[in-house]
Amino acid sequence: MIIMGFSTLQTFPLIEGLTGPQTLDVLHKRITALGARVSGQFVVDCETYFSAPSLLPGNSQRVLNVLHNTEEPASVFAILEGGAKQPVLVADTLLDALLPKMAVLYTSNKKQTRIESKGNRYEMGDFVVKLGSVTMSGSFKGILVEVCYLACVVPALCWEMVWEFMQSFLGSTVPSTLPPYIQSRQNATFSPTDTIQMYLEKFNEFRKQTVAR
Amino acid sequence: MPVRPKRGLMMPLSMSENLARLAAKIDWSRSDGEEDGDEAAPSSAEGDGDADSQVTTFQQPTWPWESVRNKIRDAYTEVCVLSDVLSIARHKRYMVLDGVTQDAPEPKQIIQVISKKKGLAAAAQILSEGAERMRENLAEQRRNRNNNDFYTELLRLRQKWRLRKVGNNIIGDLSYKQVGSRFWLSGTFEVKKAEENAPALPPPAPGLPPVPPSPIIVTVPSELQGAAFIYVTIRKDQETLCSARLTHPGSTPLPVPQSQHWSDRLDAAQNVLFCKELIAQLAREAVQLQPRLPHMVIGNEITSTIFPGIHLVMGLAHSARPERRPAAAPLPPVPAGPLGDNNYVLEHSLHQLLRHMHHRNMHHAMPHPASAPMGMSKRRRQAGPGAASRGQLLKMVESETLLESIIRQARHVVLRMRTAFAIDSCAREIKDPLIVTHWNSVNSPTQSCCKVNIMTHGYDSVHRTTFLINVLEDSLRCVCRDGRVMTVSYETSELHYIILCQVSQHNLLAAQSLGRIMGWTVKSSSSGQGGGGGGGSDASQTAQSGGGGAASSSCVLSAPGGHCYVAVRCQPHGEPVTVSVAQSPKRDFFPTALVTEHKWEHLGGAFRQIKWEKMEGRNFLNKMELLMANLSSGTGSIM
Repeated sequence: MIIMGFSTLQTFPLIEGLTGPQTLDVLHKRITALGARVSGQFVVDCETYFSAPSLLPGNSQRVLNVLHNTEEPASVFAILEGGAKQPVLVADTLLDALLPKMAVLYTSNKKQTRIESKGNRYEMGDFVVKLGSVTMSGSFKGILVEVCYLACVVPALCWEMVWEFMQSFLGSTVPSTLPPYIQSRQNATFSPTDTIQMYLEKFNEFRKQTVAR
Repeated sequence: MPVRPKRGLMMPLSMSENLARLAAKIDWSRSDGEEDGDEAAPSSAEGDGDADSQVTTFQQPTWPWESVRNKIRDAYTEVCVLSDVLSIARHKRYMVLDGVTQDAPEPKQIIQVISKKKGLAAAAQILSEGAERMRENLAEQRRNRNNNDFYTELLRLRQKWRLRKVGNNIIGDLSYKQVGSRFWLSGTFEVKKAEENAPALPPPAPGLPPVPPSPIIVTVPSELQGAAFIYVTIRKDQETLCSARLTHPGSTPLPVPQSQHWSDRLDAAQNVLFCKELIAQLAREAVQLQPRLPHMVIGNEITSTIFPGIHLVMGLAHSARPERRPAAAPLPPVPAGPLGDNNYVLEHSLHQLLRHMHHRNMHHAMPHPASAPMGMSKRRRQAGPGAASRGQLLKMVESETLLESIIRQARHVVLRMRTAFAIDSCAREIKDPLIVTHWNSVNSPTQSCCKVNIMTHGYDSVHRTTFLINVLEDSLRCVCRDGRVMTVSYETSELHYIILCQVSQHNLLAAQSLGRIMGWTVKSSSSGQGGGGGGGSDASQTAQSGGGGAASSSCVLSAPGGHCYVAVRCQPHGEPVTVSVAQSPKRDFFPTALVTEHKWEHLGGAFRQIKWEKMEGRNFLNKMELLMANLSSGTGSIM
């Protein structure tokens, strides 16, 4: 049985008048003041592959997102978007070696589509907090805060406490409801793929922002 | 006288005719004196056969057989003289026969020298040609034999070592890579054919025959030459508690001379490689591990602290190139004890551990999926698709390193020695109950077991206290008969304490069972009355326990008639047992102001301590037996 707890993910808007790194610095100060200590770095990255036109009939296109999370260093997550379902594949790192061989079917422009959230990992009792600055193809996009509560795997049972804990250093920016992806499965056991799904959602949001601008 | 021979064909004379003709010539009538003049006639007649008829007719001898007779007579005379001479000469008295010396011809020296020279030259040529032929023959034979020797030796080499051909060279491999080693040092050696006229090696010892040169020359890389071993020493300050030497099984740690047989040299080189790999692995682990007291790696020596004040020193002694600088070869620090002290468990473990590591590198649990990389455990393979977290992955790679297991074993070795010493010193110290230990001969490298029996001499069947000591890596576990399990740290004073407790308990229980045998009744028995003197009825005993914790124990026994009591109190600190006696009623009663009647004496009197060391008896139980026997007989003379 894999016990990894429950994670929630949210964006943190930049504090007015401060840049991204400065905002992160503020958060760092707040959370270390609470007693958390840094326990290394973390990276969650996502690469996107687009299906070749010949693969599917009609004009439809599938998007293959390949994600890595340093919390699961031996795994590669692949999520296929564009269909009725979003199948999630968890594989070992050989998948990375396999993808270049499928370049005919799924092509990727690595420089433009790579998006990642990178930053410090903090530990504080049962809580693990990750403050990540999101960069897409090298440019800063925003801040993602992941809070993980290791002692519970059912989101509905511990959301209140996690929410309260998050408010202590994120302030009023914390939404009072569970992230939309979790809401539908708040009584189910939380798994690492759920974290990845949430990251993908947020990454897609950031991408849309770019498009809007 | 002219003779005109008649010519005509004549038949040759027959034998009889010839005889008759010759007889006609003999003048039988002539005297001896005339024979000189006649000599010429028969000789000429003899020489000229054809003219005989004319001669005979011409001379007309007086008697036809005369000449014949004369001749025979002459011959006879001569023969007589000859026989006389011979007979005289035979006696060698008056005459000696001697060879006639002939004068040598005049030698011509130059011709002689030249002819001798020629003869000698011819002989010499023949001889040298023969020798040349023989030499050629011999050389050819030797070449053939050498070739054969080379190939048979090569075959033998191949049976033991891995060889391959690179170009024109034969390269061998003595590394452990084939069995899973990942050591960087390549253990290759080169095989060459020995030169034919290689200088014969000096005999290894004056008494032994010279060794024929091996037809194979093995060249070992310089870093693998010489001899090496790994020493493991457990030291307390400067004193060596235990040591082990790790060499190739069966080989000596002495340097191998260059001239030795290839198999010895290769064995030695492989041993060097093994030792180097082992020490490299240990050093790497020593640097990687982060214990509370960091390991020290200095040069080829690793030092780690296993107990406070006790260090484990492991080092590589490698005497490289013994033939170049025999005097300056780094003398390995020989462990203080003789080699007989070698701790084989440690040595064996070191060998085994590295080989286990090799084995692990090579052998993976079956089956593997064809797509997965080799060398992964099943759990590790499933970690990827199962999205295992970082913590889980870290747990998977955790495995015990060689250094850790060696340290564990070394700890155990030290602890076992300490325990044995502590028990032995206790047994020396405590004479009265005997302490007997049985060490199990079958141990694991990190666990051994010892059974301690406590009994009193002569009363073995009365009572026997047994407890078990499990010696672990850094703690002892004592299991008592009653099921109590005590875990003791590596400090031997704690074990000492436990033994003293067991001894006191033994004394108490043995006194009770002796009492039961003798018909006495155990009135009360308590173990663990605290360190103070509250237990028992012994008011005079005010001993304070030194360490606290362990309790004194006591019991009260009553005589079969109930008229007297014996109280025994045992202190667990090695103090002597105190025994007190109370009697009721006393035989002699003197009324006092408080106790006026004799009947009150039935309530039991005050206990009075016995001067135990003055008691008769060999040991505690013997004294008790005597005391109880005395009391139950009712005479009470002891009072």
